[in-house]
Amino acid sequence: MNTLEFDILLPAFLAGLLVLATHIPFGMRVLQRGVIFADLAVAQIAGLGGVIAGLLDLADQPLLVQLIAAASALCGAALLAWIERNAAEVKEAYIGLTFVLAASLGILLMSRDVHAGEHLKDLLVGQILWVNNTQLIGTAVLSAVLLIVWRSLHGSPSHLVFYALFALAITASVQLVGIYLVFASLIVPALATYQLQQCRMTFAFGIGIAGYVLGLLLSVWLDLPAGVAIVWAMAVVGLSTAILKRPG
Amino acid sequence: MNLKSKSSPQRHRDTEKSEKQSKAFRAFFQESQGWLPLYLRVSVVKIFCLSLSLLLLTIPAHAALNVFACEPEWAALTQELAGDKATLYTATGALQDPHRIEARPSLIARARRANLVVCTGAELEVAWLPVVLRESGNNTVLPGSDGYFEAAQFVTMLEVPTRLDRGEGDVHALGNPHIQTDPRNFLPVAEALGKRLAQLDPGHAAHYRQRLAAFKQQWRAAIAKWEAQAAPLKGVAVVLQHKGLPYLSHWLGLNEVVALEPKPGMEPSAAHLAQVLNTLQKQPARMVLRAAYQNERPSEWIAQRAHIAAVVLPYTVGGSDKAKDLYGLFDDTIARLLAGLQ
Repeated sequence: MNTLEFDILLPAFLAGLLVLATHIPFGMRVLQRGVIFADLAVAQIAGLGGVIAGLLDLADQPLLVQLIAAASALCGAALLAWIERNAAEVKEAYIGLTFVLAASLGILLMSRDVHAGEHLKDLLVGQILWVNNTQLIGTAVLSAVLLIVWRSLHGSPSHLVFYALFALAITASVQLVGIYLVFASLIVPALATYQLQQCRMTFAFGIGIAGYVLGLLLSVWLDLPAGVAIVWAMAVVGLSTAILKRPG
Repeated sequence: MNLKSKSSPQRHRDTEKSEKQSKAFRAFFQESQGWLPLYLRVSVVKIFCLSLSLLLLTIPAHAALNVFACEPEWAALTQELAGDKATLYTATGALQDPHRIEARPSLIARARRANLVVCTGAELEVAWLPVVLRESGNNTVLPGSDGYFEAAQFVTMLEVPTRLDRGEGDVHALGNPHIQTDPRNFLPVAEALGKRLAQLDPGHAAHYRQRLAAFKQQWRAAIAKWEAQAAPLKGVAVVLQHKGLPYLSHWLGLNEVVALEPKPGMEPSAAHLAQVLNTLQKQPARMVLRAAYQNERPSEWIAQRAHIAAVVLPYTVGGSDKAKDLYGLFDDTIARLLAGLQ
């Protein structure tokens, strides 16, 4: 590999590490709670915030757009916490419905304002190769804060606090790497190590990191789009680990 | 059934109109009650009714043609050529990708009332226009009829593939359809469109002829001005976010070194980006160009890495604050390109 390719891959790899840092512990919790699609719902609600920012003509103030997106995601988190407390048995149905309603409302609002549509797309379709330094630094600071709060609560916060942390992490990561990679980073390492008793966290990080490295290398060697190559690489690594390490 | 659905929105609007008129009438009448004698009041009413009916009679003559334009640039051109003789509707905004738009009932309703559909053609609107026209049930604007106008037919197309291979991605069999980035293309299109307007509305043929002649003269002068302003741009090396500006590059003599996104909206491979950076090391470019409706991230990425200016082009009328009409579109395009040189 020459230095040019390394130059392109390094920021993308760092973005992947940042996403994994928060998403692996959150993913395990999401799997345990059975709210797999909560990330899609939260991302869509954050995107809706972006549309509203566009409608209010704030598109040229990126910080404000981010704040509105984060605030919407937090409202979504409150809604998810309420659903989990009051309708635990059918929560997946409610979460799915929340996703569909947020996505449809986005399209309804967009039909009046084409500028807003671009924002919804930007918020949802992050592409990992276009990551810039500002985004990396911003996400690093946010991830550090989220992890410190998570640690200080010993990994067992209340519904509301969990969803709030989760919502902020998703809002940042979706813009960094896109919705497919967020979903894969959240679920694949957690699912592949589901039955491990020891060193679960180590294996989960191993799978995640191996997925990003392998996917990025495949993107160079085989001339493939990077994001989707990483999703498949991570799934293959995860599946192999699950088969090799299966109990009994 | 079809007839009924056609007439009902019309009727609804008519009742709305007459309600508004009677309200205005009542207000006028009440106001005049206090100080006008009765016979005068009656004649006021008569004059009012007479002028109203005259006004109603003249409305169709004022806006003879309902024009449905697929893209803002053709709405702007029709405006130049028809003036107040056409009522315009534009199907796509400047910040929308004209390849893909959402089908809405309003589009079909507008196509139903249209006397003339003005589009780029060359497969640009292939994803939505045939459906809209079919659903409109309006036979006078179907492809092949006089009410259907395709601008691309009157222009020398660039990037016509010698071999058709859809695997290459966004390939258009008839050539690149984004013809509006070269002002010279508007001359033959205006010529044909002016004739078509006169053909559809023969009562105002002289009006269209006169406006066409005036437009052609003004537009030629404007092109000469832009070409003089753009002289420093000749041969300047540029990066494209997505290959969609061949007409602009051809006109100004820009040197397209490389394109970032081989397929629009699809993330490139890391190998492709390495190749882009490699090419730029050998052949440094001055700026990266993108259309206003495209995502800014790819442009910003290359601008940061290669230390070049990122230039956003309005791409069509309405794509920037200054691109309010066809003249503003090219004034602003040239100004932004020249700013990118500094």
